[in-house]
Amino acid sequence: MTIGSTPKADATNEDAALVARIAAREEAAFREVIGMHAALLHRIAYRMTGDAHEAEDIAQEAMLRLWDHAPRLGQRGEAMKLGPWLKRVAMNLAFDRLRSRGRTSDADVPERVDEAPLADEALAAEEDMLAARALMEGLPERQRAAIVLTYYEELPNAEAAEVLEMKLKAFESLLFRARAALRSAFEANEAQGGAA
Amino acid sequence: MSDIDKNAGPIVPDSALGRSLGAYTAPDLSGGFADRIIAATEGRAAPLPASRPAGSRWRSARRLAVGALAAGALGTAAAATGVLERIGVDLPSPAEVWSTITRSEPEAVPASRQGSGLPSGALDTRIEIEGPVDTPEELEEVFRRVDEIREERRDIRRERVDRLIDDAIERRREQGLPAPTPEREEQMRERLDQFRERRDTTREQRLEQRREEYRERIENGEELVPQDIIRERREERFQRPVGRRLERLREMSPEERRDAIRRFRERREEMSQQLNPAPEERDQEPEVLQAPQTDAFEMQPEMPPE
Repeated sequence: MTIGSTPKADATNEDAALVARIAAREEAAFREVIGMHAALLHRIAYRMTGDAHEAEDIAQEAMLRLWDHAPRLGQRGEAMKLGPWLKRVAMNLAFDRLRSRGRTSDADVPERVDEAPLADEALAAEEDMLAARALMEGLPERQRAAIVLTYYEELPNAEAAEVLEMKLKAFESLLFRARAALRSAFEANEAQGGAA
Repeated sequence: MSDIDKNAGPIVPDSALGRSLGAYTAPDLSGGFADRIIAATEGRAAPLPASRPAGSRWRSARRLAVGALAAGALGTAAAATGVLERIGVDLPSPAEVWSTITRSEPEAVPASRQGSGLPSGALDTRIEIEGPVDTPEELEEVFRRVDEIREERRDIRRERVDRLIDDAIERRREQGLPAPTPEREEQMRERLDQFRERRDTTREQRLEQRREEYRERIENGEELVPQDIIRERREERFQRPVGRRLERLREMSPEERRDAIRRFRERREEMSQQLNPAPEERDQEPEVLQAPQTDAFEMQPEMPPE
């Protein structure tokens, strides 16, 4: 029999070591974490807000919070899980932006006006994308988050629940409602003849 | 699978909905994203200091204060609602506490505090012993009276506990809360009886050991005062002059105590002779001397059993 740590434990140790190095203001470690997680945070933020610039701002802010809080996070030792923590921060920032947007604008879906002539194929793809975005943006924000995390990012329910700081059962119930709402909206769109 | 379950089941990527959602692709991060973040860290404030340890003194003091207030409030509420009396905790009144501190005469206990829902006279039972105990017969008589009272009080306590348990179970049943089944209740009562038996056995052993010591003292010609055998209530002990004398007696060294007891016997003998003069003296002096009694002879102890 050999004694060794599991891959998960290794990942946790690695996270703890990275956070400790960031706390020591080691730029290389911070770059490593950006390389590992920034794209994911950006995708989550984009699908939550529907705005590429806002998504970049959210990803950047999440990373800078890691930089600021690394000394405190380092005290958690091996309990520190970098991925879920960053996703949680990014998701909360996205919620903040959506609420702020709701207070300052009535626009549901930003219409993208592109006056350049498009080939039929590109036009169809654009229409599909806008339809999907409209479907997602039609969901309440937490239901949208549940779909983004489990369908687009393929996170296990337990991890998605951790990101949203929910009990697993509550999250499963939320996901159940989100899927049902999404299907209803999709079927309604189809019945009306296609794209929203 | 019901329609609802089917509607809320996982989204298959190859389904129409899946293909539609698949069109919602996210753009790539713009170039130089990492460099911009690193550059942004340059102007950031210094890292936040490590959080203070959990046992901060101010926080601890605050928790202690909150805990003390909560405990005080609970205690006050329990006393106010009579819970402590129901479970047999005897709370002294403010007047009693004050009289204990100042050693002054306490005010009479209000009648409302004497009942406590117990059979009349249950807690007022006292053992009356007149004078010192100096023969084995007297001592055994004291033990018999003590046992009698102890039995009575033990039955009252058991009855009270049983009644509280019955009431609690009844209340739970009335409120629709889970209550023990008859079998479970039987088990609980058996365990309670076993506990009582063990406790009583231990007490009996200690008591018998102490009684043996008393018997030996009587056999050795020593006289026992009631306070030696029966523990007096603390507040009564401080109120009575004789109680204070006995306290002093207990604090003496064995030699001093023996000397004090010898002087006491001499005084008692002297007074006895004055009260019952020899026949020749009685002829000469027919008047009965009204000698002043000592505190010890005045004492009619009414105390709870051991």
